[in-house]
Amino acid sequence: MTRPSKQIISLNVNGDDYELAVRPNRTLLEVLREDLMLTGTKEGCEDGSCGTCTVLLDGAPVRSCMLLAVDVAGRHVVTIEGLASDNELHPVQKAFVEYGAIQCGYCSPGMILTAKALLDTNPNPTEEEIKLAISGNLCRCTGYNKIVSAIKIAGENIAGVSSHE
Amino acid sequence: MRLPEFSFHEPLTLDQAFATIKKNNGNARFLAGGTDLVPLMKFGLETPSMIVSLKKIEGLKGIAEDNGYAMIGALTTLREIISSTVISGKLPALSEAAMAVAAPPVWNVATLGGNIRQQTRCVYYNQSRAWRLEKEPCFKAGGNVCHAVPRGKKCFSVYCGDIAPALIALDAAATISGMAGPAEVRLIDLFSNDGLSPFTLEKNTIITGIKIPVPGAASRSGYAKLRVRSAIDYPLVSAAASVALDKDSIITGVKLALSAVGPAPVAIDLNGVLVGVRIDTADFTALKDVLPKKTQIADNLALPGSYRRKMLSVIAKKAIMKAAERAAEKETI
Ligand SMILES: Cc1cc2nc3c(=O)[nH]c(=O)nc-3n(C[C@H](O)[C@H](O)[C@H](O)COP(=O)(O)OP(=O)(O)OC[C@H]3O[C@@H](n4cnc5c(N)ncnc54)[C@H](O)[C@@H]3O)c2cc1C
Ligand code: SF4
Ligand code: FES
Ligand code: FES
Repeated sequence: MTRPSKQIISLNVNGDDYELAVRPNRTLLEVLREDLMLTGTKEGCEDGSCGTCTVLLDGAPVRSCMLLAVDVAGRHVVTIEGLASDNELHPVQKAFVEYGAIQCGYCSPGMILTAKALLDTNPNPTEEEIKLAISGNLCRCTGYNKIVSAIKIAGENIAGVSSHE
Repeated sequence: MRLPEFSFHEPLTLDQAFATIKKNNGNARFLAGGTDLVPLMKFGLETPSMIVSLKKIEGLKGIAEDNGYAMIGALTTLREIISSTVISGKLPALSEAAMAVAAPPVWNVATLGGNIRQQTRCVYYNQSRAWRLEKEPCFKAGGNVCHAVPRGKKCFSVYCGDIAPALIALDAAATISGMAGPAEVRLIDLFSNDGLSPFTLEKNTIITGIKIPVPGAASRSGYAKLRVRSAIDYPLVSAAASVALDKDSIITGVKLALSAVGPAPVAIDLNGVLVGVRIDTADFTALKDVLPKKTQIADNLALPGSYRRKMLSVIAKKAIMKAAERAAEKETI
């Protein structure tokens, strides 16, 4: 078999437009980490089980290790690098730092992006809704309680800011 | 784990899809959400030379109610199924089964057709190359032994789809399109019960949609699943039931289907057991004898086969009770 040629795809990542030449067998995770040097997105299990490779695709959390980059051509991707603006952390990031929801930090990019997507559509989630939303993200360190509290507090902070606007 | 190389195609019509496969004479796989296929390719368990994405083909997505049927496109995501009030209201087993798949981020990309057409699984097979190298290749890997059933003469890998049993209990049919043209197949008839090649579909046949008769108010459905963790895990045994009640809460019909019990989902003929009795006095003990005989449970998932066998009647009862409670609620409205 002749080697399948590279395909040119456009991708918007964290607000920036890219044109990339990729072979069909490269995952979105590989392209983010190796071509765009966005190494905030982590690689864990590589087979869809752990959620640490989560990015937002058109606003919804997805596992980038199971997506072919050529299959998401033309879409909008947000990685953990895209959350802070002007050196100001996103409220979810702030809450994770302030309330100790991070230990080794390996699950944090995926966890934070999943939480952001939840709060974008439901700023005042119940504990059950938070637990369901992050049920696909494994954390081997903290035991989840602090993560759930940090997400709750981040939601309250976001709602508080917007109600004072 | 890097993916092996393959060519990638995005046809815009079904005809283009078939023509692309024919022209390239390739060992093709269709791609929907990729959440079953891509991990299998990473493990070297699927090695297609070409991937044909179904995503750009028009008319394969969406949920509509038409003439007494719910019609769901095969490329509809599980998220769309879970969000549909028609489905949660009238076909709750389907909603519940979709919610039982993997975890919420997977629902955003996983599709209905891909869920139905997922490969069978086994703890001795769904492993990395390095892990598998430690053992002789089994039947499913092209060898001559089965590690799960040591003197077994065939493969007992398990169909672990959550959605097929719900569709079977709901009497669904699949609309399919192949080189030979379109056809409609009862859902249960898609499965061959052969762990090596679990589907009856001709190679390169596309499931285009699912057609489900919308039940009357007296009949409702439910889904129950045994898993170790309440998210991510595949079923270790699961059951879907449709139950019809009359106005005195007497059961007039039960349809039961099981998954994760062998190489295919199983439709259970209860032979009138439970029919004619009030749901609150129903005696489920018969299930303990009937169900294990209809299944081919081996020691090849995360929990021992003996435990999964014992849990069959518990999970089946749970599904039946969920369905019955919903049907009773409807009767009293
Ligand atoms: C961590 C993890 C946990 C999981 N847990 C569960 C679980 O609990 N329950 C469960 O049921 N599944 C589970 N899955 C498997 C998978 O996510 C789902 O089955 C999903 O619905 C598959 O859909 P897909 O669109 O991603 O399929 P794909 O991977 O795109 O396709 C699967 C197969 O079907 C074929 N195919 C796809 N669409 C069609 C079509 N329209 N016509 C013909 N062939 C088609 C493909 O060629 C491929 O062989 C899990 C997966 C992961 C990674
Ligand atoms: S059931 Fe036996 S033959 Fe089939 S995959 Fe498992 S070990 Fe292999
Ligand atoms: S690395 Fe993608 S889910 Fe684990
Ligand atoms: S903080 Fe270490 S895995 Fe979650």
